[in-house]
Amino acid sequence: MTKAIKFIKSNLFLTSVIFAYAVLALINPQIGLQGAKNSGYYIKEMLMIMPVIFVLTALLDSWVPKRTIIRYLGKEAKTKGVVLSFVLGSISAGPIYAAFPFCVMLHKKGASIKNVVIILSSWAVVKIPMLLNEAKFLGFKFMITRWILTVISILIFSWITAKIVKDEDLPQEELRLKKGVYLNKTACMGCTVCTRMYPALFQMDGKRAMVKEYNYLDMKLLQKAIEACPVKAIEYI
Amino acid sequence: MDIFTIAIWVVTLVLLVFSFLKDKEKTKETLKKALFMGKGMALSILAVIFTIGLVLAILPPQQISEIISKQNLYVATIAAAAFGTITLIPAFIAFPLIGTLAGAGVGIMPSVAFLTTLTMVGVATFPLEKKEFGTKFTITRNVLSFLFAIIIALAMGVTL
Repeated sequence: MTKAIKFIKSNLFLTSVIFAYAVLALINPQIGLQGAKNSGYYIKEMLMIMPVIFVLTALLDSWVPKRTIIRYLGKEAKTKGVVLSFVLGSISAGPIYAAFPFCVMLHKKGASIKNVVIILSSWAVVKIPMLLNEAKFLGFKFMITRWILTVISILIFSWITAKIVKDEDLPQEELRLKKGVYLNKTACMGCTVCTRMYPALFQMDGKRAMVKEYNYLDMKLLQKAIEACPVKAIEYI
Repeated sequence: MDIFTIAIWVVTLVLLVFSFLKDKEKTKETLKKALFMGKGMALSILAVIFTIGLVLAILPPQQISEIISKQNLYVATIAAAAFGTITLIPAFIAFPLIGTLAGAGVGIMPSVAFLTTLTMVGVATFPLEKKEFGTKFTITRNVLSFLFAIIIALAMGVTL
């Protein structure tokens, strides 16, 4: 029972979608059915691109060193970073959400917010397959004018986004691959309860707590720290 | 599958082979990582997809274009941008639709606004984007994209 509640809590969006379909099935089955049918196309689209995006993202994550990403896409990359971001976004395929895992990985490895926004946006509206289609249906002049205006707009609003959003505003969670102790830095408010309760494992890193390197875990102390954390930012998997 | 999707598959498979030849263990870890990422996002993506399916069933694109074409130019532009945000439509449906929109006398501005928000701003993808990038980033990016979609539309109306 608690497991079901936990699932619903962590998948609130999915649960509400299922709920919406269930309601529709009762009051207007035709629309519900049409919705499921429409979804079929998108599922195909997703299966064609998502597996390869995940593998490519993981490969780049494993093999490209952090300093390379910082040099080409970081804050100091300037024009080089902007151009590279536009190129990366333009040669992409798939809907905008396909860019999410890719961009999260790049940001974790040091790409700047500005460049992440450029990749995401050009992935959405100026990718080359889309431009070709656009020229076919709406004419070359239409396509090229929209392309120029869009690129200028992306340049401006990626710059604005970087002014508003800071690196710390993005979720800082590490990939939870291994068993162990995890601390959600976005949730942590730096109350120091855990560092006082279990100083051998937790220490303050600026205004937030972090997990130290450890070989041994005192499960009793850890459990106490997990329960004591006022924002439930500590997890043991 | 368009040529870019195929190209991404080919490039990735080649890289994977290289990776495997160079370091078997590391490649295994990498694939595990990919699987882990996929598992983490799969349910959310399905939720996004079924939301889009539902939105399109309740509000088919033809109906959207009918509603838009009855408004005056500026209302139509903003309405088109708003409709664009609630759904994601694949390009091969969107372009003919926009072609008819523009042809039916709706004008370029609403068509461009629709096209831009259609792909760049997402209400359906919002929960997923929020999970990956945080609330502040997601709101900022989507709001700015929406505003600039309208600016692009106005500029297109002036130049073409």
